[in-house]
Order: sequence, then structure tokens, then C-alpha cells
Amino acid sequence: MLSTGNDIVSLNTINVTRTKQPNFYSKILTPTETALHQEPYFATIPFEVFVWLLWSIKESAFKFLQRIDPEIIFTPVKFEVTQLEIPASFKIQAFNIEKLTGISFDNIETIKSNISFGNYILYSNSLIYQEFISTVVNGAEDFSCTYWGVKQIESSKVVIQSTEVRAFLINNLTDNQFTIGKNIRGIPVLLKDNMELSIPVSLSHHEYYIAYSFQLPV
Amino acid sequence: MTRQEILNELKKVISPYTTNKEMLAQINEDTDLLKDLKINSANLVDIIIDAEAKYDIEIDYDEADKMMNVGSCIDVISEKIGQKQQ
Repeated sequence: MLSTGNDIVSLNTINVTRTKQPNFYSKILTPTETALHQEPYFATIPFEVFVWLLWSIKESAFKFLQRIDPEIIFTPVKFEVTQLEIPASFKIQAFNIEKLTGISFDNIETIKSNISFGNYILYSNSLIYQEFISTVVNGAEDFSCTYWGVKQIESSKVVIQSTEVRAFLINNLTDNQFTIGKNIRGIPVLLKDNMELSIPVSLSHHEYYIAYSFQLPV
Repeated sequence: MTRQEILNELKKVISPYTTNKEMLAQINEDTDLLKDLKINSANLVDIIIDAEAKYDIEIDYDEADKMMNVGSCIDVISEKIGQKQQ
């Protein structure tokens, strides 16, 4: 079944002190994942950013699987990041533009991971900037039909975030006759003439940042 | 503590994480933290940590994943307070 899952975390709003406390991060990371941060490749990523990177990956994986199995409950430590690849000499830069969109992640530096949940193995690509972490999860390593976007907005009000992220996605579709609704399980769906299409979409927002992903068949 | 007393305290724990103060004032056991109170999922761990501190309890992973609505939060907190008193 085709699915997609994404998440965005605004790094300006995280509580750095709290994130570094074991009683906090141990609710998100397993001991094995916590140990991953000691690997030399992650020296350029502060621990609090590492914690929220894994949160973002796990939340995206949950959203991906929720479409397949609506009964799944989000327990971060049950989504295990088994592999994490960071580009050599990765450096966190400022997001000096208003928005970024793409198809696949072939031409952009991302952190890639494999996630295990029960019998599922999922794959992710995460962008990290000084301002946010944005992740997209797919069921295969091939992201060539994965469309995504990240944008800075001017208001952090939930109603504005929600409206803006829908408009951002619709404006990046070739046919803007689409609308976005939610199915009876509260999962976002793409509609045309009020009919649900089989294109999975995922939306996220946090403070002044919004993001989407959608997946077409390969 | 009665369920109503826990609910009243829980309102204070949740308050910093929701901008929907109108809904917060009217919360009941069916209120969903994410859908009704519009709490960002990134704040769920904060709520669990704050509840742990408030009631001097420890909520582990399997219990935390039940805390999606106010009633289930009260179930978990009430059970933990009960265990502490034994």
C-alpha cells in the first residue's frame, strides 16, 4: 500500500535543557539509539538536535504506518532507528530562503535512516537547518516519486498553519483543482471533486514552519 | 485523589502547551490532546514529564502511549498514584 509520512520540528522552540535530561530523552530514544550519538560522524550535531532528529524520524514513520494500520499507537521507543547515515563533514546551516520543494532527495544533503517497527522496515530522509528538522518517510529506499516541501510562514497560529500547509501543497501540484480533506480516521487525503484519490499526503507544522510530502506510484 | 481532582490538576499541566484556552476550560475525559486541544505532538513528552513531576510518579513508555485523551491520562496517573501509596 502506498503511503507517506512527514514531520517538522522547529528548533527555535525546543527546550534544550530539558531535552538533555535522561528522563526526557529516554522516552524518545532507546539505549542503542542514544549510543549512536557517540559515533564520530555525529560530532557536528548537538545532542538536543540529535534527539529531535530521531523524534522527527519516528513521528514520520508513525504517520506512514497509521495510514496502513489505523490502530497503531505512537510510542517513540518502539520505532527503532537501526541505521543512520550522515554526509561526511555535514554542517548545520541557516535556512536563508522562504521555501524549499523537491522530488526525491538526490540533489540535497540529507541524513538517511532505516527504521524498524514490528515487521516493517521504513526509510527516511531528513533535512536539518539551524531553524528546523524536516523528515519524510517512505516504504522503500527509492524516493524518486516522493514530493516534498518546507516553508517558513508568518504566524504560528494553528488555524493559519493548517491553512498555509494545505495551500503550499496544492500550489505545488500541477493540477490545482485538488483539495485536501481528512478521512474518517483523521488522516489527510487528497480530493478532486470531493472524491478521495489514491495519492497519500502527509502534512506537518510546528511554530513558523510547515511541511508536506506526497507519494506517487513508482 | 478523585478523578475530578486529577482532571483539575491536569488542566494546569496541559495549559502551557495549548493555545485553545476555551477548549481547555471545557475539557472532559473524552477530550483528545492533539485533535481537540491542538497540542503539537512534540509537546506530548513535555506533558508526561510535567505530570511525573507534579504527582511524583514515573510513567514508562507503554503507559505513555495510552495518554492520548484526558480520560486515559487520568487512568494512568490514578493507577500510578495508587501504586505509590501501596
